[in-house]
Amino acid sequence: MTRQTLHMSLVWQAVICVVRRLMLLNLALLTLPCSIQASEKLDVVALVAGSIDQTRGLSSFAEMSMLIKRPSWQRKSTLKAWTRGREDALIRFVAPARDAGNALLKQGERMWTYTPKLNKSIRLPGGMMSQSWAGSDFSYNDMSRSDKWLRDYTLEHVGTDRDLGFAVYVVDAIPREDAAVVWGKEQLRIREDLVLLELTYFDQDMQPVRRMESLAVGELSGRVMATRMRMQDVDKPDQYTELEYLDMDFDVDVPDRMFTLFSLQSGRSR
Amino acid sequence: MISSSLFSTLAMLFNLSLRNIVRYRRRNFFLFAAIAVAVGGTTLSNALIRGWQVDMLETAVAGLTGHIKLQAPGFADDPSLQNAFSSLTPIALGEEVPILGFAQRINIPAVISSERETRGVALVGVDPANEGISLYSDFVIEGEDLSGPADGRLLIGKALAETLQTRVGRRVVVIMEGADGKSRERGYRIAGVFDAPMKISEELLVFTGLQAMQAALSSAELSRPITELSLVLQAEEDRVVAQRELAAQHPQLVVKDWREMQPQVAEIVDLVDATMAIWFFLIMSALTFGLVNTLIATVMQRTRELGMLRALGMNQRLVLIQVVMECVGIMVVGVIAGLLLGVAMVFGLGDGIDLSAFSESVEAFGMSTLLKPVLTLEDLLLFGGLSVLVGFFASFFPARRALKISPLMAMNR
Repeated sequence: MTRQTLHMSLVWQAVICVVRRLMLLNLALLTLPCSIQASEKLDVVALVAGSIDQTRGLSSFAEMSMLIKRPSWQRKSTLKAWTRGREDALIRFVAPARDAGNALLKQGERMWTYTPKLNKSIRLPGGMMSQSWAGSDFSYNDMSRSDKWLRDYTLEHVGTDRDLGFAVYVVDAIPREDAAVVWGKEQLRIREDLVLLELTYFDQDMQPVRRMESLAVGELSGRVMATRMRMQDVDKPDQYTELEYLDMDFDVDVPDRMFTLFSLQSGRSR
Repeated sequence: MISSSLFSTLAMLFNLSLRNIVRYRRRNFFLFAAIAVAVGGTTLSNALIRGWQVDMLETAVAGLTGHIKLQAPGFADDPSLQNAFSSLTPIALGEEVPILGFAQRINIPAVISSERETRGVALVGVDPANEGISLYSDFVIEGEDLSGPADGRLLIGKALAETLQTRVGRRVVVIMEGADGKSRERGYRIAGVFDAPMKISEELLVFTGLQAMQAALSSAELSRPITELSLVLQAEEDRVVAQRELAAQHPQLVVKDWREMQPQVAEIVDLVDATMAIWFFLIMSALTFGLVNTLIATVMQRTRELGMLRALGMNQRLVLIQVVMECVGIMVVGVIAGLLLGVAMVFGLGDGIDLSAFSESVEAFGMSTLLKPVLTLEDLLLFGGLSVLVGFFASFFPARRALKISPLMAMNR
């Protein structure tokens, strides 16, 4: 064995070692849908389902800050959110004082808002679901249906990128014919460790209309997830809404009464 | 014998009046012209007002209302499928009330959204074959028409398509309330985009197949619900009879005619008759002063002549008849010329006046953007007759003046 070939084999071994470690890391990260990469055919449904559940768990508690940026003004508020399963959620503003107490309750597909100034909770009619939530770039629909991709869409794996050493799967979600979806398609970019990096809404001419990007990925309460997200209209670069997770707890003990109208109106935030 | 002498007297008086008219050619020409222009103008404006009235009535009846509409009792307060009735409701009217057709529909409020906009609309489930009686049949459709009652696609207005920034072949989401009171959300594909004469119907109305809508929304209790049944009669005048009969046949339903469905249109339609009368009165009273003035001048000018006639034995009554005849004669000739002028102007307008430049304000009054004048024989006869009558009464002042003339007074001139 010449020096040259010895050197080559050493390099080769090092490469193999790195690949092995990466694969081990993958196995550790992918808990349930670990079969994602098993074959060259990607199990898209499992990937998307895994990505949805990544930020949830049986129940969760999160503290977030929301920044609404407009050309002439901006507003930053803090809010707390509790979730249970895929269905129930309660979101309550805690700061600034002007917004504190405003809350949103979701039970399945139904949603209520509560405004302490009116001391009244209002059931959101279906027609309002596409409107802006709390003046942000998120609509009530964005807040309400997280498992819609599994129900109303056909999922298709259209490509794979690389980002910071991770494989990133590009998945097109095309709405079924009679699904209540206005978009031509939604494109998800999901990192192989199930972090949703980007979500783009396309109109029916397949032009991008809205985009949600993950600006930062980090580990919160033991899970790797997007910690800062920005939602904006594609043609309005100077206005957007940023949502940042400040603190997150998974599988916490949330009492059932948290997700009731009474709790929505009582205004207590634990 | 008496009658023949009376006739010859009248003929003589007529002759005299005619000559008097012809004698002052220039003055009477201007008088004729004034009457003709006034009557012609009135005819034209009345034809336009009448056209507006007919148009409003047609628009009101064609705009899904029909002459008569049947609805469930609670529908006016809560327009939803919970206040529906069965599509098997029979329509049986006797021979004496011929109908043009009827249409069963579901007409409920809904919310429609595209990628960019959301709007509230009225979602109407129709059977296109039955909609010959409504504005549906006048639509100019880009794309495809609904193929039948089972077509589960949408037909939306051009204005709405522009607002939603969508077009034929695209999908939109419609949110509506089902028969169970729960809201349903569904994706729909747009089959066609219609162009309606009135922008408000383009903005507000969205059509889909009736059966498709029933299938999507109905509940177990009522398998094929409809929310309205609208009926168009061959003659609008039969409406009262038809309404009474239908109300007796279907005591469980509310039977309303178009005047109850669209009271403001009914009010305006009624107001139009009064407007025409007021308009006519104003123009005619202005004209009367001119006529009276001219005739008094004529009479004054002829003081000596009339005095001589009196001296020759013409009694006061004959003088009176002669002046009245002259006045009415001027009026008749002027009115006939005026009516001819008016009819000519109406025909000159031909297809009507295009008001699309003012379309928004025009539509606020519930009329289409093309104002077509409508001439009716009754209107022409009424206004012609009334004009002559006005001339008759207007001759009172010159006749009174003429009666005061005595041979002695004439000699003193």
